[in-house]
Amino acid sequence: MKWMYQDVQAFQNAKEYIDTAVIPLVPYTFKGEVDIKKFAFQSEVMNIFMSQIEKQLKGRVFLLPSYYYIKTDSLEPHYQQLNETVDHLHNHQFKHVLLFSFDKQWRKFMKDLHGELVWLPAMKEQDLNQVETQQVIQSHIGDIEDLIKEQWKS
Amino acid sequence: MSEKKNNQVSRRTFLNYTLTGVGGFMGAAMVAPMVGMAVDPLLQADGEGDFVYVMDEDEITEEPQRKTFTIDQEDGWYESQAERVAWIFRDGNGDILALSPICTHLGCIVDWGVQDDHPDQFYCPCHDGRYDKDGVNIPGTPPTEPLHVYEQRVDDGRLYLGRANPR
Ligand code: FES
Repeated sequence: MKWMYQDVQAFQNAKEYIDTAVIPLVPYTFKGEVDIKKFAFQSEVMNIFMSQIEKQLKGRVFLLPSYYYIKTDSLEPHYQQLNETVDHLHNHQFKHVLLFSFDKQWRKFMKDLHGELVWLPAMKEQDLNQVETQQVIQSHIGDIEDLIKEQWKS
Repeated sequence: MSEKKNNQVSRRTFLNYTLTGVGGFMGAAMVAPMVGMAVDPLLQADGEGDFVYVMDEDEITEEPQRKTFTIDQEDGWYESQAERVAWIFRDGNGDILALSPICTHLGCIVDWGVQDDHPDQFYCPCHDGRYDKDGVNIPGTPPTEPLHVYEQRVDDGRLYLGRANPR
């Protein structure tokens, strides 16, 4: 399910089946020639991952709008806000709240986050239209899917 | 540049998107919500009437094979390519059957033969929905109707698939 009119209507009719919320945590910046490209690329890859996961597991996973933040040295202000979001979701019947990010910094907050952090190793910037890249992405998507299914069993 | 000029440019761009109906996230994002209701039936028409070559007839086995193919999809505002998946096999009568992998419960993607307990069934990982080989839902599992079936056409030993329909 996605945060869209048609999907939320389906959601309302089948709430008890959709118990998993997924939020991508996506940094961005306009500082630095290197970072600007790096983060844009990662954001694109994250979009592909999330939309494919949503497609595969549509009936149980709700993909929420991304949590965007300006990349700074500290995530301190963000993690509190994020926890409020996670609490809100937990209070509304989502049993599993998974937070996906390429940003290593979140790992420091692993214990303090109310949701389950899934940190993904960032991919090197490359052409997303290339067959090899697509194969790599496809295999990552398979791994993420397995990870979510594991979570369901726990 | 004057404000007026800017305005004109953006309006022209906007019109361009809406009139040509191609591409443009911007155009789609601005327009789609307003006409969501009206466009709805179009969104669901998977390139109606178009048949796409998927595999050769003599490659079809009794064991379901997973095949992907690409269709041109038109959703009212822009055209795109969309990937479709079909599970293709010969059924007990020797007829070709091409099933859609979309679970009829809430839309997850089913897989064939992944469960040790039910090696001859389609399985949905989301709520343990199951279907027999012909795609008929197993009573007592969440799905309430069989997997949808692709329209098919065999021409010169080649299998073409169209859209998937409920049974
Ligand atoms: S979506 Fe397949 S069993 Fe619920």
